[in-house]
Amino acid sequence: MDQGFVTVIGMSIAYVASFLGMGLAWYGWNKRHQGGEE
Amino acid sequence: MIDFTPLDWFWAGAFLLLMVGGAFFFYRLARRSESDFFLAGRRLPWWLPASSVFSTHTATDTPMWVTGVIYAHGYRGLWYTFFTAWTAIGAFVSARIFRRSLAYSQAEWQVMRFGGFGAELLRGWLAGWQVFMNMFILGWVGMAMGKVGALVFGWPIWVGLVLPTLITAAYTLVAGYWGVVMGDFLQGIVAIFAILIVSLVGIAAVGGPTELSGRLVEMGEGWRMDVFAFTGVFSGDFPIAWWLTMLVIAVVGGFGMGTSIDWYPEAQRIQSAGSVRDAAYGIWAGGAITLIRNGFWAASILAFFVLAPGIVNAADYELGWFRLGFELLPAGLVGVFFAAILAIHLSTISSHLNLGALYFTRDLYQRYLKPDASEENLVWVGRVATAVLLIGSFFYGMMMQEITQWLIFALWLMMAGIWLPNILQVVWWRFNSWGYLSAWMANLGVAWLVVWILPAFGVFPPLPDYLQFWLLMALGAVVFLPATLLTKPEEMDHLVKYYLQTRPLGWWGPVHREAVRRGLIDEGTAHVGDGRVGSAASRPLIKRSWTAAEAEEWTREDWIVIALSPLVMASFMIGVASLLVLRPGGIALTLFAVIGTLAIYWIIDPKLRAVSAEYESRQAQYLDELERGVRWEKASLGEEA
Repeated sequence: MDQGFVTVIGMSIAYVASFLGMGLAWYGWNKRHQGGEE
Repeated sequence: MIDFTPLDWFWAGAFLLLMVGGAFFFYRLARRSESDFFLAGRRLPWWLPASSVFSTHTATDTPMWVTGVIYAHGYRGLWYTFFTAWTAIGAFVSARIFRRSLAYSQAEWQVMRFGGFGAELLRGWLAGWQVFMNMFILGWVGMAMGKVGALVFGWPIWVGLVLPTLITAAYTLVAGYWGVVMGDFLQGIVAIFAILIVSLVGIAAVGGPTELSGRLVEMGEGWRMDVFAFTGVFSGDFPIAWWLTMLVIAVVGGFGMGTSIDWYPEAQRIQSAGSVRDAAYGIWAGGAITLIRNGFWAASILAFFVLAPGIVNAADYELGWFRLGFELLPAGLVGVFFAAILAIHLSTISSHLNLGALYFTRDLYQRYLKPDASEENLVWVGRVATAVLLIGSFFYGMMMQEITQWLIFALWLMMAGIWLPNILQVVWWRFNSWGYLSAWMANLGVAWLVVWILPAFGVFPPLPDYLQFWLLMALGAVVFLPATLLTKPEEMDHLVKYYLQTRPLGWWGPVHREAVRRGLIDEGTAHVGDGRVGSAASRPLIKRSWTAAEAEEWTREDWIVIALSPLVMASFMIGVASLLVLRPGGIALTLFAVIGTLAIYWIIDPKLRAVSAEYESRQAQYLDELERGVRWEKASLGEEA
């Protein structure tokens, strides 16, 4: 398989974790601000 | 396979007992609070973080890849290991700023530097990234131990992957970061001892330094003792362009945060230090010892090259240092050598287990799921997260070996796109959360373009590493600079608060002036980075007596140390390596490095003492605000204004 291709695939897999973490942050932010605690 | 005598088994067993037994000694300290479990209560003297930096920088696979680059490139291969030199400037700039922030992690620092929704997204982004990366590193390093187990004992790979890691988990789960850092200290001593002994035994096996250098010249391989044996400006397998790129990444990167995967574990060591001064010295000494170690290692690999020249397969010559130890050391010392390999492995595994658990517990669980969690609850979540990371790394190591290889290279690409934003977020007040987040996002897209799509469609051929770095950096800037300038700056209240707490270096003029206007800083003090403290007439060349307000500013003394420190670190690495093969300049460079170290201490220590004393008087208040911040309470650092 092409080295460049597998590299960017590997990088994209690593990014999935970041998107999940960001999703959790979004959830936490909305929960705090919709709950009227601010 | 290697024959172990009863004495060898005794040494290896005694070391393991010491590691696991010691953990129960620190159990009482670790269970007290989240701060104890993850930062050893923020009161370590500088030499403990320093030994931890060294130990964590020495992973099971480190002897393999260092051996690989030295065997292939000779002493010029030392430059591959020079990325550690980010600590040269980092110790006196980014470490000082980060320690003052008191952030538990790099993710937490994001909500202190930036504010509002964008900062929260960044915190979640970096926390997710770090939980994954620590599991990835655990799997990657575990696989290296699996290979060593197969070489030494003929074990199946999974035994070497699982068994030593389980032992590490025992003391990491029980004693948290206390166990990590105390273990790192003992492991560092054992590892340094083994590296020195094996290096000297390897050189002696060739007939000594004179014989080693003579044999290399006879073989027509004398260039291997030259760290500057370039193959051209842009051509060959070791061009000057690559070397300059590596130098810039490492040295200039010290102004910022996250120059490579090293920053994240070192951030934890910075925060565990007892003061700003301890943090600076801990990071600097850890980096310097690591580079000196590389010098010793390199000499022994040259000896291995003379003893076994012409090995073509990288997988074979990468085991050169292990072979020197197991084949040349006498019975008894082989057990000590194996204990050192275990030490190297345990220190890396324990650090990443605890660090991954920190990001999950502090930045994801506490911040977004249960902000009102008790200290006891957080410590237990930390332990559960440690166990989950451990199990995940086993599966990861066994099932995804191919992807691990891809990810190692992907890390280089990652660094390329984020390198400049990592510096800008420290030194430029106007850089904002949307700019930094867009840099991360853009990096994925431009990496696809530069690394695969455009070469695959024949737009240009696959580029060498250094060209990929500069191209990815430039293309990333095309995205993150407009994203920064087209969105609002961070709230001035937030920036002033951050500025007063961390006193960053760089372009912070508008924030400084606002702080002066509000009466929070004395108008008479110098503006950041311009080196004016006191009148020119009364000021000595090197000022060694500081008031608290003066020491807060970035002055001539800081800039002298910033310029001198990378030279000292490079001189240590090259000087020691050259000394061991009796190259001209080896003694002079090593001497320069020693004198330079003393000069750095003489110049900067009075200032660091003043900064530390002043800051520690305010630290309790900042810590209180930090804890209120993570619980989303009003007037916190993350969301005031």
